[in-house]
Amino acid sequence: MKEANAHLKALIEGLGDWGLEAFVYVPSSHSAPVIRGLEARGVKAVMANREEEAVGIAGGMALAGKKVAIVMQDNGFGNALTALGTFANSYHTGFPIFANTRGGLGEYNSMIHSISESVPDLLKRLSIRVENLGVSDSPEVWRSSTHAVAKLAQIQRRPIVTLFEALHPGLDIA
Amino acid sequence: MAKMTRIEALKVIDAEFASDPLVITCGATAREFASFSRRPTHLPLLDSMGLTTPVGLGIALGYTGNVGVVDGDGSLLMGFSILPTLAAYGPKNLTVIVLDNGQHASADLFESQAMHVNIAGAAKGLGIETYECETGDDLKSNIARSKNSNSVTVIFVKILQGNTPGIPFFLADPAQLGANFADALKSK
Repeated sequence: MKEANAHLKALIEGLGDWGLEAFVYVPSSHSAPVIRGLEARGVKAVMANREEEAVGIAGGMALAGKKVAIVMQDNGFGNALTALGTFANSYHTGFPIFANTRGGLGEYNSMIHSISESVPDLLKRLSIRVENLGVSDSPEVWRSSTHAVAKLAQIQRRPIVTLFEALHPGLDIA
Repeated sequence: MAKMTRIEALKVIDAEFASDPLVITCGATAREFASFSRRPTHLPLLDSMGLTTPVGLGIALGYTGNVGVVDGDGSLLMGFSILPTLAAYGPKNLTVIVLDNGQHASADLFESQAMHVNIAGAAKGLGIETYECETGDDLKSNIARSKNSNSVTVIFVKILQGNTPGIPFFLADPAQLGANFADALKSK
């Protein structure tokens, strides 16, 4: 288990600033430090088996008035598109989704880019706002952006996706 | 042998969940329900097949009172991975009712795999408290049992095949349905 680096810690802090009450996640080695960091803070966690399931659970919690987020990987959006379109967007359920990106520098999988590279366009075609956090952005920007995105999703009653760069915990680009 | 039509089962459910949040699966189920009862506490999912039980689980995790889900065998099969999630996290305030007619009645009456496999047995095998029934009286008493249970429960109800004729399309605005539902929960 790798601990969160400064950027991922900032993401966790940003969700704390918003007052996150619960999160739904689909397991990912890249997002693991975020998932474990939120659990360590005592935030209620629900593990979903598929991304559309996560959208349903998080959307239900949002309609019940909870501050809830999804943590997942960007290659799972293919599973989630119908749920995002017909439920989360159409029923105005407001929650942020934080998805680590795959297929970029440091990637070890030969084919994952074939879905991950298309994800921003797919989401935009569904009228889902997409924000980006890269390793060149400062941890301060990660924290403030995370808070602002979560707040905006709740105010606009829409899912908003943040795609964040998180290298595999086993890799080091230094 | 099934004894009730879908709309007869829905009338029992409507009476038993008259003031509780109820998530309703899409297609003919949502249309038939809306033809005789529309409440702010109803959340019909107009086109999200496979998502009814996940949404109900999310609501039950965020709300303290009883929550009901009306799912179908076809819809549950489309998102069958929710069953282990229910077993792992299912809160005791959640009752999932699966109206099982062994067919995708909203999709040209194609036979569903529930005709050939025991989906209630799968739920039981996962350790979920599961009831099975065929009559309105048994459905009513099972809902009462479920509301008094200390765990999530799934009630499988065998219903007759087909749809009630003459039911109009349900063309509500989902944004309005979502807002009314959220407001109803907030005021409780």
